[in-house]
Amino acid sequence: MGRRAFFSGQPANWMSLRQGLLWIFLVGLTGCGTADPPQFGLNRLAMRTGEVNEEHRQQIADILTAMFGTPDDPFMARAEQAANSDYDVSQDAFLATSGLDLAKLQMAAGSVASDRSGTGRGLFREHCVHCHGIGGDGLGPTAPFLNPYPRDYRQGKFKAKSTELAAKPTRDDLYGVLERGIPGTSMPSFKLLPSQEIDALVEYVKYLSLRGQTEVMLVNALFDLDEGEPIPLDQEFLVGEILSPLTATWEEAEEYVIHPPEPPEMEPEESIALGRELFQSAKANCVKCHGTLALGDGQRDDYDEWNRAYVDLKLEPSDIAAMGALPIRNIHPRNLRLGIYRFGRRPLDVYRRIHAGIAGTPMPGVGPATPGAEGTLTPDQIWHLVHYVRSLPYDELSPVGEPPSEVTRERL
Amino acid sequence: MTPAADGFAGHSPFITTFLNIGNYVTQQQHSSWPHWWAVLLCATAFPLIWVGGLVTTHDAGMAVPDWPTTYGYNLFLYPWQSWLFGPWDLFVEHGHRLLGAAVGLITLATACAVWRAETNSLVRGLAIALACLVVFQGVLGGLRVRLDARWLAQLHACVGPAFFALCVTMFVVTSRSWKNMSRTLPSEGSSGINSAASLALLLAYLQIVLGSFVRHASWDMLPALFRATVVLHVVLGIGLAGQASYVAWRVLWRRTSPRPQQAAAIAVVALLAAQLALGVAAWTVNYGLPFGWGQHGWLAGHLVTARGAWQSLLTTAHQANGSLILGTTTLIALFAWRESWNAGRESAPSTAVLNGATS
Repeated sequence: MGRRAFFSGQPANWMSLRQGLLWIFLVGLTGCGTADPPQFGLNRLAMRTGEVNEEHRQQIADILTAMFGTPDDPFMARAEQAANSDYDVSQDAFLATSGLDLAKLQMAAGSVASDRSGTGRGLFREHCVHCHGIGGDGLGPTAPFLNPYPRDYRQGKFKAKSTELAAKPTRDDLYGVLERGIPGTSMPSFKLLPSQEIDALVEYVKYLSLRGQTEVMLVNALFDLDEGEPIPLDQEFLVGEILSPLTATWEEAEEYVIHPPEPPEMEPEESIALGRELFQSAKANCVKCHGTLALGDGQRDDYDEWNRAYVDLKLEPSDIAAMGALPIRNIHPRNLRLGIYRFGRRPLDVYRRIHAGIAGTPMPGVGPATPGAEGTLTPDQIWHLVHYVRSLPYDELSPVGEPPSEVTRERL
Repeated sequence: MTPAADGFAGHSPFITTFLNIGNYVTQQQHSSWPHWWAVLLCATAFPLIWVGGLVTTHDAGMAVPDWPTTYGYNLFLYPWQSWLFGPWDLFVEHGHRLLGAAVGLITLATACAVWRAETNSLVRGLAIALACLVVFQGVLGGLRVRLDARWLAQLHACVGPAFFALCVTMFVVTSRSWKNMSRTLPSEGSSGINSAASLALLLAYLQIVLGSFVRHASWDMLPALFRATVVLHVVLGIGLAGQASYVAWRVLWRRTSPRPQQAAAIAVVALLAAQLALGVAAWTVNYGLPFGWGQHGWLAGHLVTARGAWQSLLTTAHQANGSLILGTTTLIALFAWRESWNAGRESAPSTAVLNGATS
């Protein structure tokens, strides 16, 4: 670059001698080597549960790469795919079937950077990967310290949602969690991020979840194959039997949003009193876990589904560690007198929690499992419980029935 | 004097030459220019570390994809409106580069001033080392961008505090207090401070290195390794606090310690207390409350806000304060080493050697 250009203040081409010298230095410093691009790992739990052999593990890894690409390039492994004539379906078809927005995925994937306008890239690695891991397995470096553990997206189960228990969360549900965060946990609020960046992260979470569920379905598909038979690579199987049904569950989520009826017209005190009775009753059975005083001091030795998967395998702690998993933890019921509602404090939010339960946890739903069916409690009764639960932070502790447990006494 | 001529056991020739500066001072006019340049260097290097910390906190290292240019512009000619009123990441990264360039120029000026005014070969060597290190550090920062390599960012983050410690060293060895120490005799009870101070200095830097592993944790770092790193960081932090407090107590208890060393001893205790609090705070604003506190009482309402002001301020402050602790322990250790050397000189068997040393 000439001296005139140097002082002109205009963009200049510095690529010449300077760059040559730089790269000579680089080669010396890095030993000509560069780090391998990140890859998604296999779901070790699914592989162990399905007793998948090495050959099938490699095939599943290859199929997933062909379908979903890599952490740097979602749905962009076309070059590799073109070289592999075994697939009779393009990655474009996988992308189209998934219903995901490639532009958003590209914004969230890859290494961290931003352009001159401040638009970020690599958002997942910037904000999420240190807890949730590169593949969304909840096994990022910081995970052991966090309580609760970071969510493993690969099962497609999410706690904070407005939909029925078995349904996927809506886009707004995921956006809301990212925007509001979850108080009392390590899940931050990203409200200071531009909305398009939160949107991109939501899309990437869906991508990781879809990919993780696809992996589990491929493992399940092995049970229908003869020994040594490879997994089919045709469109009918990969798209028709695997990806399409999974995508449909995400697309149908809006249909399963819980829309409660209006609360019954009565004095709040009356509704709260009815709620208190229901809370203590065997019908709702809230006291089993939350305790008679709703201090969360009932059953405290249960597990969520992410931990229970390892409990069911009856593995030693050393075996669990060898699988790269975190030590098993019990799930503790919420102390409802704190007035902290992790998934939303509005009456509507609490109604949905009680109606549908919390996916992946022992918290059951007491509303009808499907619209039109009969639930354990009627909508009016659920509203009474909502009013009672929301009154608890302002309620004086008044033991009912048996004396407080040891845990309760400690808390009192 | 030749290093071999002093005959003091227990000191390497290099250190002996370095610590013998005062003998040269008696032979020549003292120039304060190198010291004032060193003051300016420290005063600019510390903000540079702070801004560098901001770059890491906001993951803004790749906000400018080219280097040494900024979006094709010469570094100094990038439109200031685009810098000041542009995106935050760009503001921080380009600002870090500008400040880094300024520190580089000040380092070179300091080196020139030292070269002109000092005759001690090791002080001159220190000046050259500073100049080389600042260039190396700049290139490291550039390579981090050109290669998009996070491990280079971590190395860059470890070299920065080492450079700052060398700046403090230059600040000390060009000071009048240091040069006057050649005439100060050690007092009773001084023995042992130098080794204790050396250990504190080593721990302070080790803490910075461990902290860099926490700050720059890669996506593929094993959770168990991260946990071990954090636990070690906490344990060593407590160890450093104990060791540095012990050194500070020894320095202050004697009452005859040099005043800069006394001031540094008080400062390091205050900085360490702040650092422990900042460490807990930095963890809390990034990952929530530690030790399961987030499950209880009103603490259950604690919410982490990504990229919030507290997260930015406290995390960066914890990192920058680590460099301040390194700087103060460096100062304490330098005076302790010097005193130890003086003690060795006083206990030397022959005054002829001393005479030879000053001739």
